[in-house]
Amino acid sequence: MSKVQQLSVSKTSVSKIAILALAIVFAAGLFVVGFDQGHIFSIVYGEQAFVDLSIHELTHDMRHAAGFPCH
Amino acid sequence: MKSTLFIVIVIISGALAGAIHGTVNFAIVEPYLDQAIGIENQNLFASGEEDDNPQFWAEHEEYRVWQKSGQVLAGMILGIAMGSLFGIVYALSRNSLPGKNDVSKAVILAGIMWITIYLIPFLKYPANPPTVGDAETVALRAILYISFILISGFGALAFYKLSQKLQSNKKYLGLLGYAIFIIIVFFVMPENPDELTAPMNLVNEFRFMSVLGVTSFWISIGFILGLFWKKFEK
Repeated sequence: MSKVQQLSVSKTSVSKIAILALAIVFAAGLFVVGFDQGHIFSIVYGEQAFVDLSIHELTHDMRHAAGFPCH
Repeated sequence: MKSTLFIVIVIISGALAGAIHGTVNFAIVEPYLDQAIGIENQNLFASGEEDDNPQFWAEHEEYRVWQKSGQVLAGMILGIAMGSLFGIVYALSRNSLPGKNDVSKAVILAGIMWITIYLIPFLKYPANPPTVGDAETVALRAILYISFILISGFGALAFYKLSQKLQSNKKYLGLLGYAIFIIIVFFVMPENPDELTAPMNLVNEFRFMSVLGVTSFWISIGFILGLFWKKFEK
């Protein structure tokens, strides 16, 4: 008699779409705080955003404190 | 757990832990940032790039207020971002993590991620205060830093997967393998190209406070997400 063993492995209880959504949030948030040099606002304000560096200045102190390269 | 609930608790956990991180920074890192920016200003006056006059100081105060006011907000944005990564890894690894409940499991994972994607990269490329850092090399430094984080993070994951294939009495080889791998990477990766142009006591004290700030985030995210998960899992 063959004995069938059923192995139940539950990898995760959350959906792939939720994981994808959080992956996008992760990438966007990391870029805003760690690396933006006017890129995001340049979508609206054009080249001036690279001069104003509004997001860079807003996140400046956290950027240094969290260890991201700056200046 | 429902997807919406999962996303909500991850984002709230990240925002709360990030707010704690920003508040801690505001209390213990800001004084060092002020000192470093003071040196930066003196260098600008000495080189003739700026004049030491009331107009300069008025503009300086204006953007320092903007920068300081962004500390907690930026902490929350970074917290949501890093919290999202933490939530993803926790959801995927929860069944494999040691620990009696979700709080202990989440805190253990936070410790692992703190070491692999923060502390080890920090030891190679430590945080620097303003006045240290050449604008010409910022892209290179960003590439080096992110590369090391990715190598360390994916290296830890790969050696964990390898250890799963080993017999239980040989699983320590996975940890040993990662340790050897990351030591090699540590010495192979190029150094930060910038000179340290600030007093070393200022740089070292700033770095120590920076580590405390980031550590406050990882402790917080572990406890907060663990508590939320424990409460809402059923």
